Amino acid sequence: MSNVVLGYKQSSFPAKLAIISGISLLVFAVIPFFIGSFQLSLLSKLLLFGSLAVSLDLVWGFTGILSFAHGVFFTLGGYAAAYYLKLNLSAANNTYGGELPDFMVWNGLEVLPWFIAPLRYFPIAFLAMIGVPALFAYITGSFIFRSKVSGVYITIITLAISSALTTFFISQQAYTGGTNGITDVSRLSFFGTEIPPIGLYFLILAYTTFVMALSWWLTQSNFGLILRSINENENRIAFLGYDVAQYKIFIWTLSAALAGMAGGLFVPLNRFISPVYLAVAFGTQVVIWVAIGGRGTLVGPLAAAILLGQIQNSAERVTQDWQLVVGVLLLIVVLFIPNGLMSLVPKQLRLANLSKPKPLPGTVKAAETTTTEKAQTEVAQTEPARRSS
Amino acid sequence: MKAVLSVKDLNVVFSGFKALSGVNLDVYDGEIVTIIGPNGAGKSTLLDAIVSKSPVASGKVFFNGKDITNRQPYTIARMGIGRKFQNPNVYNELTVFDNILLALKGAHGIFSAITAKLTKAKKGKIYDVLERTGLIDQAFEEVSSLSHGQKQWVEIAMVLAQDPSIVLLDEPTAGMTAEETFATGEIIKSIAKSHSIVVIEHDMEFVKQIAERIVVLHQGAVLAEGSVEEVQSNPKVIEVYLGRETINAAA
Repeated sequence: MSNVVLGYKQSSFPAKLAIISGISLLVFAVIPFFIGSFQLSLLSKLLLFGSLAVSLDLVWGFTGILSFAHGVFFTLGGYAAAYYLKLNLSAANNTYGGELPDFMVWNGLEVLPWFIAPLRYFPIAFLAMIGVPALFAYITGSFIFRSKVSGVYITIITLAISSALTTFFISQQAYTGGTNGITDVSRLSFFGTEIPPIGLYFLILAYTTFVMALSWWLTQSNFGLILRSINENENRIAFLGYDVAQYKIFIWTLSAALAGMAGGLFVPLNRFISPVYLAVAFGTQVVIWVAIGGRGTLVGPLAAAILLGQIQNSAERVTQDWQLVVGVLLLIVVLFIPNGLMSLVPKQLRLANLSKPKPLPGTVKAAETTTTEKAQTEVAQTEPARRSS
Repeated sequence: MKAVLSVKDLNVVFSGFKALSGVNLDVYDGEIVTIIGPNGAGKSTLLDAIVSKSPVASGKVFFNGKDITNRQPYTIARMGIGRKFQNPNVYNELTVFDNILLALKGAHGIFSAITAKLTKAKKGKIYDVLERTGLIDQAFEEVSSLSHGQKQWVEIAMVLAQDPSIVLLDEPTAGMTAEETFATGEIIKSIAKSHSIVVIEHDMEFVKQIAERIVVLHQGAVLAEGSVEEVQSNPKVIEVYLGRETINAAA
């Protein structure tokens, strides 16, 4: 038995992490002053896609639940925002002059449906952007995670959710705008003043920072340790007294809320929302960002969403077959860097390691001394017995 | 004396196969009960049924007088029943320290997990458990880098950190050297000072080292019960399990 006593250094926000995240934030805060309006809008969009990817990372990377339904949560938040912006078009901008959105008029609706009407008020719309996807996730999650379904079958259910909602939104044309979705929405205003693109960019940057900070804070805590344990072996942890389903439902719901808010910010930028973002293809794209960036790294999925978006944008200019370029890239990553791009970053610079308390041989704290001494005397007592055998 | 754990007329059925039929078992405070029996006798199944890993078809399991039959595994764990599985069931990708931290007794809700601080008291408890199981030098190593025997100890340490009132150990010395086995026996004896223990074991030397009361299972039913000597001289036990040679060798 050794006499080495370990100290356990723990700081709530490690210095290295503070420096790296501070520099990154500064870069993102300065960039918009050096790029054109197209690039600004693209970067805004990619930051939101990054936030969406990070929300999936919490569920897939950390907890091990592969979901193709994150586009759905994103889009549900998006529709909430789209109704708000559509209902707040000035009468002059509205094709038919009244309060009823154009697509509802085309589909023969005469009054605004009661469940859409309250969305014209910002606080309600804001709550809906978060609350609707969260509630939807809570209900589906409760069914999925309280049942005996596990592994790949959960993934199949998420595919089914995505397909079912796509079909449903397309079929309810009078309420959802069908295949076209909700188009020609107003710009986001703040007390009557329209927010300029750069303002929207900073709003989105703030949200992305919030998502990253919250995710980091959650995953470096005991809660994160429990998520990782569920990922590695969920059966074991139940026998340690953890209600695994409760944890899964919580992270699933939280992740959906984060994705939903990203979707809510996406609509004033994109100026429309449609079932395209509900569909499996978009859900798959989110999965690809996480896979390429590196599961369970938070920074990886964000970086991958931004990088792939830029590559896609450049490839689109050169060839119409940009999907081929992205596809080949994905193949290369999956084959040669199976743990994602973050696995290429030196270990010391990864988020998980920057925030991990380092064990240090150090001075013994009073409380520790007494327990170790007690343990050592116990060991000493058993020693003779060992020798006598 | 009142039993801490009481199993009444327990039946477990796996798709028509009766894994346990009418098993009765009482475990009293501070007692070590050793379960032996040939492969397939239902030893692990009995522990599985107690912690709700396998569903109980009929019969009851009482813990401190409360009916815990078929309750959620996490509820049973929170009530104070700790389980070590046959193959070390530990978190290979985590450090030894984190494994113990996970198991540590305390609130297991989401809110407390998010806000939990690694206090001195918690660290002290973790180091204490690591010292007792001889793992202090490996505290910050990933469990995957440890030997099989050490992994067994990690799981024993996890159960210790849980601080349950009853500890269920399924072959804690499997894959250990003779020395490691002996050390494990001493650890178990020291646990028994403050916990009741049910242990499944094959190694008769080890059984003799720790055993107070032995229960012999055979084909899903209790065949015999008593001290080491009583069980070893029981003709039924000799016939189905131990065999004359084993008895002679052990004696």
